[in-house]
Amino acid sequence: MADKNESFETKDFGWLVAMSLLFLALVAVCFWLEFRTEWGPYQRQFPQLLGHYGKGQEARDFQPGIQQIWIPKIGVTDRCITCHLGYEWSSVLPATIAEPLTPHPTNDWMTKHEFAKFGCTPCHGGDGAATTVAGAHQGGRGWEDPMLSNALAQQNGLAMNGMIEMRCNFCHRHDAATPGMDEINLAKVLFKKKKCLLCHVVEGRGGATGPELTYEGDRNPELLNFAHVTGDHTMFNWNVQHLTKASAVSPKTAMPDFNFKPEESRALTLLLMSWRRLTYPPEYIPDPEVAAAAMQPSPTSTVTPTPSATPVAH
Amino acid sequence: MGAKFKALWRKTSWAWSPESDRESSEAIVKNFWLHWFPAKVARASMDWNYSFWLGTASASLLMILTVTGLMLMFFYVPSTERAYGSIKDLQYAVSFGRILRNQHRWAAEGMVAVVYIHMARVFFTGAYRGTRAINWVAGVVLFLVTLFLSFTGYLLPWDQLAFWAITVGTSIAKQAPFVGPTIQFLLLGGHEIGQQTLLRFYVLHVFFLPVLVWILFAYHMWRVRKDGGLAAVEGIRNARVMVPKATPKTKSYSLFGLTPGTSVAVMSSTGLEESDQVFSSPNMSRRIALVFLVVFNITLLAAILFNAPLEGLANPSVTPNPAKAPWYFVWLQELVASTTVRFGGYTVSGALLGGILLPGFLLAVLTAWPWLDRSPIRAQGRWLAPERKRQNMTFAIATLAIIILIMVGVYLRGPYWRIYWPGQPRPETPRLY
Repeated sequence: MADKNESFETKDFGWLVAMSLLFLALVAVCFWLEFRTEWGPYQRQFPQLLGHYGKGQEARDFQPGIQQIWIPKIGVTDRCITCHLGYEWSSVLPATIAEPLTPHPTNDWMTKHEFAKFGCTPCHGGDGAATTVAGAHQGGRGWEDPMLSNALAQQNGLAMNGMIEMRCNFCHRHDAATPGMDEINLAKVLFKKKKCLLCHVVEGRGGATGPELTYEGDRNPELLNFAHVTGDHTMFNWNVQHLTKASAVSPKTAMPDFNFKPEESRALTLLLMSWRRLTYPPEYIPDPEVAAAAMQPSPTSTVTPTPSATPVAH
Repeated sequence: MGAKFKALWRKTSWAWSPESDRESSEAIVKNFWLHWFPAKVARASMDWNYSFWLGTASASLLMILTVTGLMLMFFYVPSTERAYGSIKDLQYAVSFGRILRNQHRWAAEGMVAVVYIHMARVFFTGAYRGTRAINWVAGVVLFLVTLFLSFTGYLLPWDQLAFWAITVGTSIAKQAPFVGPTIQFLLLGGHEIGQQTLLRFYVLHVFFLPVLVWILFAYHMWRVRKDGGLAAVEGIRNARVMVPKATPKTKSYSLFGLTPGTSVAVMSSTGLEESDQVFSSPNMSRRIALVFLVVFNITLLAAILFNAPLEGLANPSVTPNPAKAPWYFVWLQELVASTTVRFGGYTVSGALLGGILLPGFLLAVLTAWPWLDRSPIRAQGRWLAPERKRQNMTFAIATLAIIILIMVGVYLRGPYWRIYWPGQPRPETPRLY
């Protein structure tokens, strides 16, 4: 009996020690994972960079850790700046610094859309809450708001800024034309010229022959028929091909073939996909008349709107 | 020298040391931790190969889930606007938040599996006879509550996976005869999943169901003790009845034999000899600590290696294709789909047959099994007793069928609920850009 007890004791005790050591090892791994962040190296590099460009005091004041732009009223929690630390240092840092520390370019619309009021994702898309490269830029499964990167824009035959115009139009929807939004401006001209409202209802106006387009951007891409679509199965691609030749994509459709040029189809697709349910508060929605006035060429304005079909790289 | 060193060590490592044997014994008798268990436990119950300690593993998972869950409650906001964001915060910004959520998730899914395997063990050892039948029923209820706990937790991240899995699950519940629509309405707090549903599921998940599980768990444990420990001892007991016994040995009330002299002599209540038993402390308490550590390490390792799923924000207007129930209910979804019959344009939904009647029948049979079992009593407490061969086969085949249905549902079902074999290309899921 004593022997059997002995075997209980020694065996169980041995395992208990082994499991305790494994437990300690796993806890150590947890700590290691916690401190081995993707953003850590950038945050160590950034103060050195500031110091190198003569901002010694700012470099010393730099507080490491997760950084975020938090704007509750538009639901923005953008931790992008945890890595993209140079974003508002364009006056000090040269634009040639490698990502993610590259300063954000300053231009006319950046002065009107301050970081503190807009954050990053309202324009660029992506997952602002994420603090990993993959999580922030591509998102996970079922995630439908990837960052509008150069690569993604090129896949769709656009420049990145052209692609971003779709998101500009979330707020600028009711502008007749907006300075700097060449793609969307072209699309709005075409939308009027081709009299789309004859068949489609948009915001309560229009004919009932075709489907309503008010919230066309919220449509579920899974409900589209891709049987006759060549290339990627994306809502963007479906719209481009449907606008170019509706009968080829939807054989039974009543929509005429407009035979738009590819750049026109792309512009109209951006417009259609920009029509989404907004949650932005009224102060974010620009006065359409102000935008229209800004479009008038004036000697003091630096903006020279040239609605053109070719995407402009900024 | 050695004795002096020992005395010094005692003085430095203990603030108090017993001055008499009585104090020594009371130190143990009055200790809550050492009084959770019976003083002695049968050696047969300690056998790894009898119980695999699955009940202890389930309890360990419950403990882990309670503690990680309480910590998650500091961060989680049960509102449709904030829930998803708070999960993202846990994932990306809260210290150890990702590990915490992962461990909670994997422990929860593990608990569903381990509780079922524990039940299978009890079945295959025929350990539900006699007074233990009541505990079998308590166990079945505990399994159901575990499922429901997991199901209510599934909705909380408020992502597409959660939203649509709960849509499928509650739609099956709706098909119950007479009460179905009412059940669905009560669960959802309306006619569709929304803020009310989230709040209801949250309150059920963090209060009512855990409290219920803990109460039932306490009852389950109490019953185990009152029913005379694990059924593994019944074999020994039965064998002993056959042997004419000498006057039973007396036993002292003084636990652990720490008090010298004699006290009131009683008959051994278990019919087990001293040699069949070991002291619970430290043998069983050490073993339980070991099982807990093993379970904790496995869940922590899983939490380190695999992220809990988190899809896009819940969107009622975009149904993923296919939308699947949580894996432990996928076999029901599979049954619903395969019992749905179409005659031309006319469809007979399988939800009643596959989603309610068949699982309801299985559950009723499972609950009543102790009273259906007519095998000789000597078959209890033994693994795969030949007297219970047909019963064990029945249970094994039913379990295997459910596992196959789950595998098909989880791994083979693709868009439009079609079967896609491994390696067979699946249609591309359309994206926005």
